[in-house]
Amino acid sequence: MSATATPLRARRRPPREAAGSPLLLGHGRLPRALAGTALVVLAVVWLVPFLWAVVTSVQSEEDINTTGLWPFKGAFTLDAYQQILERGNVSVWAFNSFLIAGLVTLITVVVSTLAAYGFSRGTFRGRRALLAVTVAAIMVPPQLLVVPLFEQMLLFNLVDTYAAVILPQVVAPMMVFILKRFFDAVPKELEEAARIDGASEFRVFASIVLPLSRPIVAAVSIFVFIGAWNNFMWPFIVTNDPDLMTLPVGLATVKDAYGIEYAQSMASALLAALPLIVVFLFFQRRIVNSVATTGLGGS
Amino acid sequence: MSSRFPAQGVPAVSDPVRRIGRRRLLRHAMAGAGALLAAGPLSGCASPASASGANSLSVWDLFQGGDGTLMDDMIEAVSKGAGGAEGFEIDRTILDWGPSYYTKLAMSAAGGRASDVAAMHLSRLAGYAPGGLVDAFDLDLLAEYGVGQKDFTPAVWSRTQHEGTVYAIPLDVHPFIVFYDKKAAEKAGLLDSSGALAPMGSPEALLEAGKALAEATGQAGILFGHVTDPAQNWRLFAALYAQTGAEFSLPDGGPAEIDIDAAVRAVTFMTQLFDGRTNPNNLDYYGSVAAFTSGRGGMAMLGEWELPALKEFDIDLGAAPFPQVFDKPAVYTDSHSLVLPHQDSPDPARRREAHRYVAAILKQSLTWASAGHIPAYQPVLAKPEYAALDPQSSYADAAKVAVLDPPNWFTGAGSNFQNRMCQPLQSALLGNTTPEKAVRQMVREADTLLRQPNPVTS
Amino acid sequence: MTTTAPPGAEEQTDAPAADAGGRRTAARRIPTGNGIVFVLPFLLVFGLFMVWPIVQGLWMSFTDSSLALRDTNFVGLDNYTEAFGDPDVWSSLGNTVFFTVISSVPLVLVALAMALLVHSGLAGQWAWRLSFFAPYLLPVTVVTMIWTWLYQPELGMANQLLDTLGMEPVGWLSDESVAMWSVAALTVWWTVGFNFLLYLAALQSLPTTFDEAAALDGAGAWRRLWSITLPQLRRTTGLVAMLQILASLKVFDQIYILTKGGPNGSTRPVLEYVYDVGFTGYRLGYASAVSYLFFALVVLISLVQFRLFRRED
Repeated sequence: MSATATPLRARRRPPREAAGSPLLLGHGRLPRALAGTALVVLAVVWLVPFLWAVVTSVQSEEDINTTGLWPFKGAFTLDAYQQILERGNVSVWAFNSFLIAGLVTLITVVVSTLAAYGFSRGTFRGRRALLAVTVAAIMVPPQLLVVPLFEQMLLFNLVDTYAAVILPQVVAPMMVFILKRFFDAVPKELEEAARIDGASEFRVFASIVLPLSRPIVAAVSIFVFIGAWNNFMWPFIVTNDPDLMTLPVGLATVKDAYGIEYAQSMASALLAALPLIVVFLFFQRRIVNSVATTGLGGS
Repeated sequence: MSSRFPAQGVPAVSDPVRRIGRRRLLRHAMAGAGALLAAGPLSGCASPASASGANSLSVWDLFQGGDGTLMDDMIEAVSKGAGGAEGFEIDRTILDWGPSYYTKLAMSAAGGRASDVAAMHLSRLAGYAPGGLVDAFDLDLLAEYGVGQKDFTPAVWSRTQHEGTVYAIPLDVHPFIVFYDKKAAEKAGLLDSSGALAPMGSPEALLEAGKALAEATGQAGILFGHVTDPAQNWRLFAALYAQTGAEFSLPDGGPAEIDIDAAVRAVTFMTQLFDGRTNPNNLDYYGSVAAFTSGRGGMAMLGEWELPALKEFDIDLGAAPFPQVFDKPAVYTDSHSLVLPHQDSPDPARRREAHRYVAAILKQSLTWASAGHIPAYQPVLAKPEYAALDPQSSYADAAKVAVLDPPNWFTGAGSNFQNRMCQPLQSALLGNTTPEKAVRQMVREADTLLRQPNPVTS
Repeated sequence: MTTTAPPGAEEQTDAPAADAGGRRTAARRIPTGNGIVFVLPFLLVFGLFMVWPIVQGLWMSFTDSSLALRDTNFVGLDNYTEAFGDPDVWSSLGNTVFFTVISSVPLVLVALAMALLVHSGLAGQWAWRLSFFAPYLLPVTVVTMIWTWLYQPELGMANQLLDTLGMEPVGWLSDESVAMWSVAALTVWWTVGFNFLLYLAALQSLPTTFDEAAALDGAGAWRRLWSITLPQLRRTTGLVAMLQILASLKVFDQIYILTKGGPNGSTRPVLEYVYDVGFTGYRLGYASAVSYLFFALVVLISLVQFRLFRRED
């Protein structure tokens, strides 16, 4: 739990290249070569499906169906991408995914941060009991609740609305727990000084605690966003109107008049994969560190 | 019933149905963002589709491949205002054939914001109409657009209703038929003087025909793909069973009323026919189509919807209604129809448009017939253009002896029921069980389904 | 997760709060005094979208609630009786457990191997991390689209590869005895990156003193891995395994899109059965009962793990 114990900048950042301990392998050449080979093999295995998809997406359907893909000999073409973009469905779903994941993240982070602070600093009655219930709820997979949730959305007349997709996703007991643990470790002296100066609890939270919490809030946001972006089951169940579907739901549900077309299928898969991969390339260090920041990876 | 073949056609990017996407994106972005800003997420933004003009209709179907492109053509024709009529703005959505489609259709109807028009197999209506998942058609309104009961055969029309109210307008009848290689059939001496497949009349005749075809092709006689298929065995069984004259009915609560002797007779004949020697007994669906199209068999038992795919190949293709081998003629069929999925507060103007659209699509069913389907709308069937369609017109009579699934909420195309019926039949055909045991298993499966409380009627 | 909380957390937080309470009498009293206002928005959504469905689902499991009908009757334990006698409930539970076993083991072991290799300090850290973590960022449909294509019987990469090696093609998704393994392989490829990052973070925060001392004493790399690094990672392994088992138990997405539970129900997990009977088959009440049976299993497994995990400490 070293990560949560030192929430401030004090966290040790491993130097860039020597991120690991070179001692682990010693200085022998053989272990190094073996490790290097194993790493390269694993990485290739992990990248090959991407490559296969990329190669497929730049072929014509005819070439794929007549000659197959192996060995690669079809002519290069971007037709598949052009057709996907012409159709516009993928852009509608991408827009929905951004809107829904963005709103889920915003609401979840605001609600969870406030709750975590309340649980950490609050003195209200029933605090421990509520906290215990919240922690227990981490064990309840939301997927188990799809049937009653759908029934609830029928009752509220919200089936096929953005609200129905978003609202059930903002309950994140796990995030509350992670944030609470962080707040617990924040020294209280700073807050006390502000309280003596007559600042309201909310002011103390907003102007003192929150700025200290940037890394953990960023980490939680990243987690929630990835989760919402990739969430399938609930959006799939509660949206039937293709105009409201997210990328994963739309791609899995809505078909094309022409039947299966592999190049187009791979082109739309790659287009749908692009946004988060790009985000990852830009924020790689932050995303990797966020796992550590949440304290989940601590030993 | 989409063809299970990957489409061969080159996609036309300029197709208006496909171009709707970009307009839709903009409209959608505005409506979505606007509603969110104005009302906040809690108020529940209505589907953007309902925010657009009454003239734009959302339609759902499950047609891909050959059927899918033809439906595109038909929608394009009515969008442009076929026959001088006013056009439409159609927002078409295609979902995966089978349970995925029917589940989404039911869920959208339960949610009250369903599409304006949707395709549905008539065999599925019993799962939708009683619970109010589809809304009734206004026959007066349909009559205004020139469509009424008189335009359909009684056999088909009778399946469009629940308690006397019409909930579905049939677009086609699509039987399970036989395709044959004319050259092989001629060599085998199976053609009549006009060059069409001669009637069989008895189980023995069909068995003999198989042998003759096997000799003619030098390979297999009759092809039938069923392994792991969730419908094929049921289609074949249902046709043969109905030919014995027996009834197959599924009263709520059970037990299933099935004539065991007739069912055993049908299954026994299936195992005799697909004995694994003259006619292979271990083909899957694709395997049977591939064997037929490459000349490794003289006849194939398939749905007529495979016609466009089969026509791509270099065979002298003939088609006939499923041959009568028992006491009375019967052909297993289903029927694509159009329904109005339930909406909580339908806009009367849109509903009117939906009726106008259904009528307009029916009048395009000559296009639909090129997919192999028999138009349900009789005025199209009577046209000389239809009579000229070969081999479609040669099996048009199948519609007159149509047998659909026994009506119940769990039966119909793409249903769990068909899948469950297929399992014991497959075992029997593969020789893993006897016809008697297979039939008993089918009865048990049907009884299990019937014992479930019926969720569509209270 | 409770075990990961610092044991002293409760006492720590109470002390300053009581302290503040003493001084607050002097300062201006503010309505947010006891902090409940901060928790209220969460309690609202928690109550609406967690507690409500849990209670509602339990109620529905005793009714004949239907997607197609709005009137609902209490049917007592009928749904549970039916579920206990329903072979599909048991086979889907079996499939779920089978999937959990064959996916969780490699998801922990491969992740550990990746993290150890990357941590060994070879050049190109970002490239390794990207390769292993990138699939985790893909929406499930993208993953299944790519793998459906890899598994495609004639043109897919898997069978083309076998063909090149002169081997018989495999029915990756159509053979009942193979399909679940294919799903597990996809799942490992897709989600191992998350476990990998957890392990990597743990490795990077390990104190290196033991390792250094052992190295000075002349202990070889293997020796130090087995007797120092791996034991230090036990807690992390417990956590990774626990999160992984919970994640694997609730499998639905990739299987639904890839095989719809087929061939012949051989890959259908219990959550898909819930979907099949509840939505496809309209029987929401029965589906709720199946959900609650599954819920009981999840709680049971969680408790067992919790016990084991606690003993590990």
